[in-house]
Amino acid sequence: MKKFASIFAAVVFSMALMISLSACGSSADSTASASAESAASEDSDLAYIQGNGKMVIGYTVYEPMNYTDENGVFTGFDTELATAVCEKLGVEPEFVEINWDTKETELAAKSIDCIWNGLTLTAEREANMACTNAYVKNAQVVVMKADSAYSSTADLVGKTVVAEAGSAGETTILEDENLAQADFISKTVQTDCLMEVAAGTADAAILDLTLASAMIGEGTDYASLAIKDELNVEEYGVAFRKGSDAAEATNKAFEELKADGTMELLAEKYALTLAD
Amino acid sequence: MGEAAVIWGRLTSAFLLNCELFGLTLLFALPLGLVVAFGSMSRFAPLRGVVKTFVWVIRGTPLMLQIIVIFLGPGLLGFKTPWPSNSSGRMMAAVVAFVINYACYFSEIYRGGIEAIPKGQTEAGQVLGMTKTQIFFKVTLLQVIKRILPPMGNEIITLVKDTSLANVISNKEIIMMAKEYSAKGLIWPLFSTAIFFLIFVGALTLLFGWAEKKMDYFR
Repeated sequence: MKKFASIFAAVVFSMALMISLSACGSSADSTASASAESAASEDSDLAYIQGNGKMVIGYTVYEPMNYTDENGVFTGFDTELATAVCEKLGVEPEFVEINWDTKETELAAKSIDCIWNGLTLTAEREANMACTNAYVKNAQVVVMKADSAYSSTADLVGKTVVAEAGSAGETTILEDENLAQADFISKTVQTDCLMEVAAGTADAAILDLTLASAMIGEGTDYASLAIKDELNVEEYGVAFRKGSDAAEATNKAFEELKADGTMELLAEKYALTLAD
Repeated sequence: MGEAAVIWGRLTSAFLLNCELFGLTLLFALPLGLVVAFGSMSRFAPLRGVVKTFVWVIRGTPLMLQIIVIFLGPGLLGFKTPWPSNSSGRMMAAVVAFVINYACYFSEIYRGGIEAIPKGQTEAGQVLGMTKTQIFFKVTLLQVIKRILPPMGNEIITLVKDTSLANVISNKEIIMMAKEYSAKGLIWPLFSTAIFFLIFVGALTLLFGWAEKKMDYFR
């Protein structure tokens, strides 16, 4: 295995060397200004992608990010967002279904240009790939009456907390050392948890950020409730090859799509929460 | 096999909650129903009106809704919730809702039984110089019990199955316990709960059959 890896590395290295040598050769024949530009674009992954005229996007089927709807149309939040970003970058999106376990290899091998599939941003991923800023986030939130005192989950030890049976909220309660010491009551529906907190029959509810932010606060029936804490926060980003400038370009496209409200519309359509 | 034993054990202990709710409801609703019955037969019209309206509201709305209202209502209306914030508070709320609901149904059965006793018996008692209380307890009551036994049996059997409604406020009774498994894809526990109810109702049916025979001496 080790032997194979070293041979593989040697082959890759020599190929890279050949490519860079030929690039030098061609730029030498060009005019001064053009050579400067092409030298810059040689390092630019964005220029590589734009040169191909398409961005190859690796995904797996994952609702609501990338999936085929009941009419047989390939859609999803990430599908629509990636299409919008590609339009800004002047390329065509090409969606390729990948094996999630080998996504990094595919990226390095240039069989795909990015992984865009509700990828959770982690320190490890950000070190090994060029990741964009977070565009969507999810979390399990602590919802309580707005006027109740809360500083951390330690305040809920011995209190009554509610969550839907079998939900991520329940997992959060069981795994948090403080919440595990609370009196946990399971409900059949997430939204019933909010009614209990509003009635004071439970002290706190643990549920999805997206659901909670849509249902509580000003102008809702749960105006007296507030999100007190975010637990198990997950942020989604897009990963490009390490060192790629396409990530930065995508960030810029995100800013534009946020400014014109496209992102907000998509988030609403697929019931997701944009990252801040 | 080990898992099945654990599941049967958990279902059984959850069914004890159904039994507890059943017992407490009967304990309080049987006497309270009599009070409501007298209220609805009162010669004082305003009292009769209030009681009859109350019975109409309770019999006219779903028990499930009443449980939710009694448990969550006070807090949602801005009062401090009267229920202790642990599982015993949920049980208390369920008992209160069941007692009120069943007392209203029982009261109508009582009223039917009491009004079916010929007026001549009361008059005869009065001629003999008995007080109203004496007439009720010594002449009317036992005959009423005999007459209302079949409809009461019917209502009490309904109560056994209604105890499941308590899970709407997360009282972990047998159906809710079984759903914990069906949510994970294991469905036999849910259907097995029928066995618990059938055995319980079977025992009650035998009990009522025996009681009716015992009452045969009134003809």
